[in-house]
Amino acid sequence: MHYRPALAALFATTAALAACGGSGSPTSSPAPAPPPAEPPTQAEAARFLSQVGMGMSRDTLNAVQSLGYAAWIDQQMSMPVQDKRWDWLVANKFDTATNKFSDRGFDNVAWRKLIVAPDVLRQRVTLALSELLVIGLEGLPGPWGAFSAANYLDLLEANAFGNYRTLLQHVSQNAAMGGYLTFKGNAKADPKKGSLPDENYARELLQLFTIGLTQLNLDGSIKLVNGQPQDTYTQDDVTGLARVFTGWDRDMTGTTDDSIEFTRRPMIQTAAKHESGSKTFLGYTVAAGADGAASLTQALDALFTHPNMAPFISRQLIQRLVTSNPTPAYIGRVAAVFNNDGKGVKGNLAAVVKTLLLDSEARDTKVAEQAGFGKLREPILRCVAWARTFGAGSKSGQWTMGNVAEPSYQLGQAPLRSPSVFNFFRPGYTPPGSAIGQAGMVAPEFQITNETSVVGYLNFMQRLVAGQHGDIEGSYSSLIPMADQSQTLIDEINLLLTGKALSSATLSSIKAAIDSMPGGTDSYRLYRVYATTVLMLASPEFIVQK
Amino acid sequence: MSHIRTKNIGGVNQARRIFMQRASALSVAGVATPWALNLAAMGDASAAGATDYKAIVCVFLYGGNDYANTLVPYDAASYAAYQALRPSLAYTRDALTPTLLTSATAPIDSGGVSRQFALAPSMASLVPLFNGGQMAALLNVGTLMQPTSKAQYRAKSVPLPPKLFSHNDQSSIWQSSAPEGAQTGWGGRMGDLFASSNGNSTFTCINVAGNAVFLTGQNAVQYQVSTSGPMSVAALKSNLFGSKACSDTLRALITQNSGNMLEAEHARVVRRALDSNDSMSAALAGSPALATTFPAGNSLADQLKLVARMISVGASMGTRRQVFFVSIGGFDMHDGLVSKHGPLLAKVADAMAAFYASTKEMGMADKVTAFTASDFGRTLTANNDGSDHGWGSMQFVLGGAVKGASFYGTAPILANDGPDDVGQGRLVPTTSVDQLAATLGGWLGVSDTDLTLVLPKLANFNASSRKLGFA
Repeated sequence: MHYRPALAALFATTAALAACGGSGSPTSSPAPAPPPAEPPTQAEAARFLSQVGMGMSRDTLNAVQSLGYAAWIDQQMSMPVQDKRWDWLVANKFDTATNKFSDRGFDNVAWRKLIVAPDVLRQRVTLALSELLVIGLEGLPGPWGAFSAANYLDLLEANAFGNYRTLLQHVSQNAAMGGYLTFKGNAKADPKKGSLPDENYARELLQLFTIGLTQLNLDGSIKLVNGQPQDTYTQDDVTGLARVFTGWDRDMTGTTDDSIEFTRRPMIQTAAKHESGSKTFLGYTVAAGADGAASLTQALDALFTHPNMAPFISRQLIQRLVTSNPTPAYIGRVAAVFNNDGKGVKGNLAAVVKTLLLDSEARDTKVAEQAGFGKLREPILRCVAWARTFGAGSKSGQWTMGNVAEPSYQLGQAPLRSPSVFNFFRPGYTPPGSAIGQAGMVAPEFQITNETSVVGYLNFMQRLVAGQHGDIEGSYSSLIPMADQSQTLIDEINLLLTGKALSSATLSSIKAAIDSMPGGTDSYRLYRVYATTVLMLASPEFIVQK
Repeated sequence: MSHIRTKNIGGVNQARRIFMQRASALSVAGVATPWALNLAAMGDASAAGATDYKAIVCVFLYGGNDYANTLVPYDAASYAAYQALRPSLAYTRDALTPTLLTSATAPIDSGGVSRQFALAPSMASLVPLFNGGQMAALLNVGTLMQPTSKAQYRAKSVPLPPKLFSHNDQSSIWQSSAPEGAQTGWGGRMGDLFASSNGNSTFTCINVAGNAVFLTGQNAVQYQVSTSGPMSVAALKSNLFGSKACSDTLRALITQNSGNMLEAEHARVVRRALDSNDSMSAALAGSPALATTFPAGNSLADQLKLVARMISVGASMGTRRQVFFVSIGGFDMHDGLVSKHGPLLAKVADAMAAFYASTKEMGMADKVTAFTASDFGRTLTANNDGSDHGWGSMQFVLGGAVKGASFYGTAPILANDGPDDVGQGRLVPTTSVDQLAATLGGWLGVSDTDLTLVLPKLANFNASSRKLGFA
């Protein structure tokens, strides 16, 4: 790889920083506030768990309170990666020939893992990554979509606390991604046919997975030159980078597409299809003669030195877990850790996630009281919060949740069912005509929130809560005994489902409603539990995570 | 805006006068007034007092439609160029003969040469509508800040649309004149002008395809409805687990205001849903069934069928002007174009043909104009078996009011780095989206002055060319 001199100097600065072992951070992000020394209160622990987890039990609450936030995070991160979705599909016989061209099984295994996996923080980050490095089940060409998508989630999960650079390497060689962004089978330019390399992956890799469209400062703010924003790349850069993504294809060695095997193999190179000339983009040149694997590694290494990488990825991870509108200082503190985890390593996702969760802006309950703080819980997270809180299980054992992405009658969102690589919602989305927009703020999840979806959600959750889904059912046995005491019942569900998010006024109004319901028998008590749960799931104070 | 509501007392001129007074008062006071505020302030000035019914329908083809295999060069010379530039993707000329378009005046390319075009063979259902005069083709239309030549593009000597070739940004610019993050779109800004003459302003801008900035105005909010039709909250239709108190509490909780801006916004969406879903449901329930058959298994047809049904009740609900948005995805064909593009265009063509037939059945054909739009055009040259992101493209307008069997704009010269493309056949548009929008807006009744507020870049185009003349 050859650098152009000016850019080489620019990137060399970053490289030096990354290697300097954390001493002296000349890019001026204030040091993060130390985590609170006192053990968290129950309310604080519950709020923390609503950010990092998806519903909670008294056991996890107690663990957070006794260990403290940092140790609990460490414990979560040290849990081994296990129980691959791909393996579950095999074990449950979804690899039969009749499923070759269907995505049957995927929703089952995706929801099952969200609901039952013990490593809840890893699951939470895996979901977040699946909304950053997006593939959509319906855009996967060819056979065995469920297995391809399951393997993709397994890949994100395995790397959720690894290094973002490593993750990019795996994603760029992943067969599902190769199919989704159409560089599987991509060939070098053919002058006879007048064909050129497919630019799809090169463009989205730049725009969505690494650096974005506009040059950023470390704190995520837009870098201005003479008052003007600066683009990060041009069409020529895309055309140059596209030459890297040639020659990759599914690894069918010793197998056929009647078998699911290829779906878990990284793509392999066909040298004859790979562009052997030089590849120039963003001021880098991968020298002529580099083979496909070397070109990919060099290109990703080059992209990884771009100063946008840290703020671009850090901001979005904060948005997925904590708040839609992090302050520049907060982004800057997390981005600094992205650039250097304290041990000279760039891209350490475990350090980034831990930093963004322990940051004073995430933890300070005074900050949470600000009018603009928080994020809309996306429908998947609301549903999983219910499922985990009430120990939901599958009657059939097959976790037949179904495709719940449809917004009129279903949940309006489902894992890996984004309609495009631009995710269900964009990090910069602002609800039109809103006070949020007038304040110059964003609220990504509102992109899938509308007159149809808000009704669909309420109706779907009412059916789910009341055991009318067909397969997925909550367990309310521990709540039945307290259901005649409305205050006890409401306090318990408010603690575990919402993380004590509801105001006293909301709790009073729910109590008044529940008090008007009959009790005294288990069937009446069950209705009281259902009603309390539905009212809380419907409350804006639950729907917005603060 | 009731304080300047004038349609019963003085009509357009009165409203205009009040608006001008108000605008000048604001500027005298030294208040910075963004154009959007001006637009909101003038509310009734444009098309006030409209008593007839008109609607436009945006059919958005998400992903960036491949122009060269949609409106396909047919005359011998340009077919040969097309075939040579994309041999792996090109239709045979014979396959195109049945869908050759006939027009009184031949389209002319930028070199002054007469050209012929055929529709993609799978779009056959639209050929009778084009040749019959209800459909027109718009040549090389795309996002522009001002008239732009290739030399100006190369030299960057004029402002260019930001983030060219990027899906989300170019679809946003198409819809709103600004990249992703834009707060209002031109459909919604037209809706701002008409909302006050509509009996129920909620239904001025209706989106059957989810969410698009196109339909958001300064005041106008898009009403989003799925093809299932308006939905009702089960727990409000019947008591929640048998408890009226719980249903009442539910209604209070989901609609209550909050000091948190996100909670307040969610409640705002819910209030809008509760207010509008039931009234729309009731109106639709009373509408006669359509005899027109819409194709099955076609999501765009499902959307357009619901639009047709809403148009059928529009006048009875008191609406005079409506802007609709429907969409179909899957056009980002970096690969598999030969196998996938034709069938997808068939869905578009069949859905639009059925939609036209339904407006005719309702006696509304000349009251409804549909038009296509897409993120961008694509390259003319092929990658392996697809095409990549481009800029200018071909679009269609359809309706009884359209001066059809015609081509509007200038046909591009087919080339790789020729006079009209910036390489690989990525076209520099010769017609702006704003000119398309101005033509539609003018037909709806937006005044020329108001058009320059709705379309802030329109003023950069010569006044005589701002409208394309197709409606």
